[in-house]
Amino acid sequence: MSGKMKALAILMLVCLVLTACGGGNGGNGGNAGNGGSVSGENGGNGGNAGDAGDGGEVKNEKLIVYTNSNSDGRGEWWIEQARQAGFDIEIVGAGGADLTNRLIAEKNNPIADVVFGLNHMFFENLKKEGVITPYVPSWASQVGENLNDPEGYYHGLVKQAIMIGYNADVYTPETAPKSWQDLYTNEAFKGKYEAPTMLGRATMQMVVAGILMPYMDENGELGIAEEGWNELKKLYDNGLPMVEGEDLYANMAAGKVHIGTVVSGEKFKREQEYGVNVGVVAPEQGVPMVVEHIAIVNGTKKMDTAKRFIDWFGSAEMQGKFAAEFSAMPVIPEAAQQAPDHIKELFAKLKAQPLDWSFIAEHIDEWAEKIELQIIN
Amino acid sequence: MNAQTWKDRLGSLHYGQMLLYAIIAWFVITFLILPNLNVYYEIFFRDGSFSLEPVEKLISSKRAMNSLKNSFILAVSLMITVNVVGIMLVLLTEYFDIKGARVLKLGYFTTLLYHGVVVSASYKFAYGENGIVTKLLAGLFPDMNREWFHGYWAVLFVMTFACTSNHLLFLGNAIRKIDYQTVEAARGMGAGPFTILWRVVLPVLKPTIFALTILTFLTGLGAMSAPLILGGTEFQTIAPMILTFSKSSTSKDLAALLALVLGLATIILLTIMIRIEKRGNYMSVSKVKSTLVKQKIHNRFANAAVHFIGYALFLIYVTPVALIVLFSFTDARSISTSTITWNSFTLENYARLFTSMSALRPYLVSVIYAAAASLLVVALALFASRIIHKYKNSRLAMALEYALMIPWMLPSTLIAIGLVLTFNVPRLIVGNTVLTGTHWIVILGYIIIHIPFTMRMVKASFFSLDHNLEDAARNMGARPFYTFRKVLLPIVLPSTLAVLALNFIKILDDYDLTVFLYHPVYQTLGVVIKNSTDVEAGIIARAMTLVYTVVLMIMSGITMYLVYGRGAKDR
Repeated sequence: MSGKMKALAILMLVCLVLTACGGGNGGNGGNAGNGGSVSGENGGNGGNAGDAGDGGEVKNEKLIVYTNSNSDGRGEWWIEQARQAGFDIEIVGAGGADLTNRLIAEKNNPIADVVFGLNHMFFENLKKEGVITPYVPSWASQVGENLNDPEGYYHGLVKQAIMIGYNADVYTPETAPKSWQDLYTNEAFKGKYEAPTMLGRATMQMVVAGILMPYMDENGELGIAEEGWNELKKLYDNGLPMVEGEDLYANMAAGKVHIGTVVSGEKFKREQEYGVNVGVVAPEQGVPMVVEHIAIVNGTKKMDTAKRFIDWFGSAEMQGKFAAEFSAMPVIPEAAQQAPDHIKELFAKLKAQPLDWSFIAEHIDEWAEKIELQIIN
Repeated sequence: MNAQTWKDRLGSLHYGQMLLYAIIAWFVITFLILPNLNVYYEIFFRDGSFSLEPVEKLISSKRAMNSLKNSFILAVSLMITVNVVGIMLVLLTEYFDIKGARVLKLGYFTTLLYHGVVVSASYKFAYGENGIVTKLLAGLFPDMNREWFHGYWAVLFVMTFACTSNHLLFLGNAIRKIDYQTVEAARGMGAGPFTILWRVVLPVLKPTIFALTILTFLTGLGAMSAPLILGGTEFQTIAPMILTFSKSSTSKDLAALLALVLGLATIILLTIMIRIEKRGNYMSVSKVKSTLVKQKIHNRFANAAVHFIGYALFLIYVTPVALIVLFSFTDARSISTSTITWNSFTLENYARLFTSMSALRPYLVSVIYAAAASLLVVALALFASRIIHKYKNSRLAMALEYALMIPWMLPSTLIAIGLVLTFNVPRLIVGNTVLTGTHWIVILGYIIIHIPFTMRMVKASFFSLDHNLEDAARNMGARPFYTFRKVLLPIVLPSTLAVLALNFIKILDDYDLTVFLYHPVYQTLGVVIKNSTDVEAGIIARAMTLVYTVVLMIMSGITMYLVYGRGAKDR
């Protein structure tokens, strides 16, 4: 027994020593060795460091960047690009809601320096809570009209269209639904589509916002007329619930469900991955277009680096490069040129549905709560 | 009482002990009461006044009430089924003489290797519409509905078998402590095998069974992934709703309220159990214990039946694990459709593991956090149990016991938010420093959420202690800490080590709490895994989930072997 106790004591000691060592490393966070796990695979890029001569003269402070759009290799790509441009960044990736909660909880002593990828609604929330600070980047004026925050807190990067997608091997453009209203009122689609039940996801919240928008009514419950809630009830009553761990594209490939919500940014990649052919619906009233933004966190101690980083990150050049690599749709027209053709064609046939963002941001969580409690069965 | 003992008594209250009590009091106030009160305050009183609106909202929601009802149904059902299966497993491996018991035991122990979403997913590989068991059954009964595995029974089935880990570990420890002489004596007096089991063996196991029952009840109430994945529309529980609401900016009050309901239900059950526990006396009587000898079942029919049950259970336990390992070698399409052909096999997933996880750092970070936190939480629980055990009838001890249950009253998301919120400004109570963003807050977070579980199990082993041993040590002049270290600790050590290992394994891949607390430079395994396995992250993520599960299984297996497996052999 005493042997075991000794072993435990040693284990504890080792832990303490290791923790202490780890702490020592954290102090000089600017070290190249601190690239962390994600950038580890790009170790062979030493040759490029010389090319990035313009970044060499400034202080190499490590920036902590929070984002919800680092999956599918995007985080690794940005880390590598940033390194070539002379920036040392560490990415914290989490879902939009988690990230927003974390930022708000940390606001008295922020860890993050920059946050990007969140949509209007999250940024409105962050702005209201005093988490972000105004900064107008050098490229702000190039961004399409009405996409930046008029008060200069956050600025647009790329847009995502939230659409109805259908399996093109099962439906033709003629037999496919014409709009969300058509989808949930037409008997032909009853029980044949995935309803946006996972309201923790920003995409599903946008679908709901798009459907409720025409029914804005100051006197209605939570700003929405009775009629609007009835529409939503039909949406959920006639659809299938989303199942945790299942994915619309996988379900299409398996022949389970053939209609659901798709996002422009991932559609192309998923089609290839699952070997399905997905058509999208372009309704007359337009589709919700979500813009992902970038902002500086209030209270950052690396303000100058953060500003330089944002100027570089959102520039037409970088966003264009990003668009070409990940099938995105930048909000700067010059950068949008670089997007792959299939994305350009997609956006050419889509119309943006007019949405009152501040109204949605103000109410969306209450709507989600009402839907969870009273609308979904 | 002579002068010498008085001196010892006074000496026993020396500064070390006082300091220890002070530390525990400080810990409870600072990290259990302050942040959680803070979070309740933020949630319920932010607008200046408290209202009953959230209660009305929940009561008027049919869906919320149904989900809540289902959670309670599941919790109560599991209390029965998990106890039945768990006790059966322990009897099969430790009490009855079963051929191949060692192999069976390994099979039953597989639940220790994986947890969370993967468990339900792996059962789906076996029993889902394309699962191999379903295919076998469909071969026998072509008319059967292939989508049979969902709803209440599917959830109950999966959770019953997935939640027996604690029984195997702790009940296994308890049954080994039975004095064989009592069994023989009973037999000598003409008691049959069943009577011995019921009147001699079971009573000794009671404190452990009580503790396990409470834990099972809580697990049932908080069930999340199994109902989400297998519950279908007809059997949804409340935990997913709590999670969604706890992340929303306006609905946190509902999340806190629902968690409070679940927490209170658990505490009520706990109070009942503590009452029963205090009434009884569960130590074995003999002072010189002899080791349990495995019992042969003499009735041939009964023997065959028990063997059959043992091996059937083995199959149930091993199938999902085997399928996880098998599917981790197949491409993503096979995984998402649960079908395997010869062409499905690939090593690509593992190749990707070595390129994307080439950095050792997240492993190291997680192992260090997990080791530090699990050691500290066990140490805390040992001292706290000791105090509660020693001053059984004092009010302060009672208060301590209930204070340590506070983490059951809030979802872990809100505990994390409470910590960050409370310690992101310098607080005098923690030396006027900021904890948010440091290693401490991560370790503290892990400690806090694992306190209730650790307490229950450590306390249960304390309550099966024999007071006379302690008295004897004291009479021979041993100081309290010496008694604790040399007499009491060795007896509670097996269970303590098991708790240590379980906590360690759970912390290794924790995500829900870590995501709010971790420092960006020190990514943990849980964060890295989540980043590359998120369902929204595409098809590769599906394959990688299984690969990481296998990696974690290996890590968990090594942990169990180092901490527990070898320890069991030592005795």
